[in-house]
Amino acid sequence: MSTPDQQPTPQPVTDSRSRGSMVLKAVALVVLAAAVLSFPSMAANPFILSVGVVIMSYAVLATSWNFVGGFTGYISLGHAAYSGLGAYATGLLIIHTDVNPWIGMLLAGLLVAAMAVPIGIASLRVRGASFVIVSIALVLILLLVFQSWGSFTGGSNGLRVPRPFGPEVLRPEQHERFFYLHAALLAVALLVWWLIDRSRFGMGLKAIREDEDKAQALGVPTFTYKLIAFVVSAFFTALGGGMYALWFGFLDPIFQFSILVGSYMVLMSLLGGIRSLFGPFLGAVIVGYAVEYFKNQYGDSQFHLVAMGILLGLVVLFMPDGIIPAATSLVDRFRPQRTSIREVSAADLAEQRRTSDPVAARADQQSRTDDGTDVPDATAGTGTGAATDTDSPTVTEGARR
Amino acid sequence: MSLFVQSLVLGILLGGLYALLAAGLTLYFGVMRVVMIAHSAFLILAAYLAWWFTDQTGLDPLLSLLVTVPLFFGMGVFMQRALISRLRPATLTMMSVLLTFSIALVIEGTLGFVFSGTQRRIRLDYGGANFEIAGANVAVVKLIAFGLAVVSLAALFLLMKKTQFGQALRATIQHPEAARLIGINTERVAGYGFGLGLATAAIGGTALALDSTFYPSLHWHWIGPLMAIIVVGGLGSIPGAAIAAMVLGMGQALLQIPLGTTWAQTFFYIALFATLMVRPQGFFGGRLAQRF
Repeated sequence: MSTPDQQPTPQPVTDSRSRGSMVLKAVALVVLAAAVLSFPSMAANPFILSVGVVIMSYAVLATSWNFVGGFTGYISLGHAAYSGLGAYATGLLIIHTDVNPWIGMLLAGLLVAAMAVPIGIASLRVRGASFVIVSIALVLILLLVFQSWGSFTGGSNGLRVPRPFGPEVLRPEQHERFFYLHAALLAVALLVWWLIDRSRFGMGLKAIREDEDKAQALGVPTFTYKLIAFVVSAFFTALGGGMYALWFGFLDPIFQFSILVGSYMVLMSLLGGIRSLFGPFLGAVIVGYAVEYFKNQYGDSQFHLVAMGILLGLVVLFMPDGIIPAATSLVDRFRPQRTSIREVSAADLAEQRRTSDPVAARADQQSRTDDGTDVPDATAGTGTGAATDTDSPTVTEGARR
Repeated sequence: MSLFVQSLVLGILLGGLYALLAAGLTLYFGVMRVVMIAHSAFLILAAYLAWWFTDQTGLDPLLSLLVTVPLFFGMGVFMQRALISRLRPATLTMMSVLLTFSIALVIEGTLGFVFSGTQRRIRLDYGGANFEIAGANVAVVKLIAFGLAVVSLAALFLLMKKTQFGQALRATIQHPEAARLIGINTERVAGYGFGLGLATAAIGGTALALDSTFYPSLHWHWIGPLMAIIVVGGLGSIPGAAIAAMVLGMGQALLQIPLGTTWAQTFFYIALFATLMVRPQGFFGGRLAQRF
């Protein structure tokens, strides 16, 4: 559907713009990495450091969640199922098989990924609301099973996970090590997300997010793609859960299989922006800090639930695209000629072509009169456009409007 | 044998209550394509209000319905108008889940804040009364809860079938655009439909409060079975939800004998996953149900 003459126009724009923004991005990345790596030495006391570990753990989970939520648009409220399974599988593997803790964590991740295949086959058959219902049901059923099956999982008494480091490693030092370990896991997850984002596979997933029926009609093997994204997401979530188990050393079904944890992942990702690489990370920093703050300040009262509920409601109502896309579009508003092709109206585009390339303009005129209407072409662009331009989140963002 | 009859009777009573609770969920979904996670939170809220009413006045908790039903109806209309209608149509289904989830969190947190996390129970003169039918013991409170469910479902049925508002509501459920074309103010109807759904939550919550202990986070235990019922029945289908509620309620009650209470609950989830494998749109849902 996209006529060849559309190709040259965006190309020079992205080229001139990408060099500048790439340098900017690289600098931002280095600053971010430096900030993360220097946090343990800046932390005032072990408590702050442990909050940092919690936030990093949330960041891993939210980024892992975003493999499904961000790419396919399937909102899972039940990812706590995979983090909880990962945590328990890690703990149980170490206790029962005497395996090296880190290998145990990896095995647990693979195990959960394998379990995610049949779960994905069942739950990805339905869309939207039904999918969310299934994801919630999964957490509830696992909570029930892990509480009732006390002989194996420790039930409501909890499960003590052996520490991976010897007794000579003191608590603050342990926090520090786990902070870096979580950061490393987060980096791997982010890298994989970025690679998928730029791949053909990622294009297919985003096409599913924009319009699943149309994506299928265009030849995207939607079910396979969704399933792969789902399993990858479950794998990383399980690793995040396993890492948390090794750090915290104690598991209780109530906290491991909690819809609240799953909803935190959604809230973090939405708040930061599910279409951007660092969105979930940013959301995790904000929400993780807020959660720890409210728990610390208001202790046993249920006030933190109210605060979280209101925050989630506000995000859903007023900022469903998240902070990063909102900020990006704000910045873009002050950058002339750096808008993406989506934000240019069809009339502007025709004018641009006429002045820059008379041959293309004529061809464009031709195709337009041939088609009779311009509208179908534009709507088809939402599918293919989302698939062609992988770089900026604003492109696909604009396609939804 | 008498154990079997006992479970059967319990299953029927339980199924009736489930049907009442799930009817509200189907209404929201049918009218607005909204999955209302907060439904069970409103149930617990109604239960607390009934308890608080009895605690303060000493009157029968059923009298609190005179206040809670209109109150919940108003809240439903308000919720639909002020919150849910603000969501973008393209992402309505997904975002409504998150929005109602946040409402559930706020309700749970507020209940915990105001009434504390301790378990509550209504003390009734007839709380321990029971009688025998065909060798099965039936607690009076369970029968009252069932009666409430039957009466309100019948009222709902009559409202939907006999009144002009019911006709407009059904038209909106079946085909919103066509309903708008023939002059139905679908937005107003949607608001009232939402209020109606929440009013069933007021009745259901009060019925629940009659014979069980409740605490703020109890709604998580309810949301799973209720969601399972509407998926098995087919999203948006009221008769489907009623039948699924009966079948699943009976199944749960019967499985309690060999498996025990906790494991019997997994029946709902097994039914849910089995339904998705066999018939993703549910047993009474239209083909469209799969897409939402």
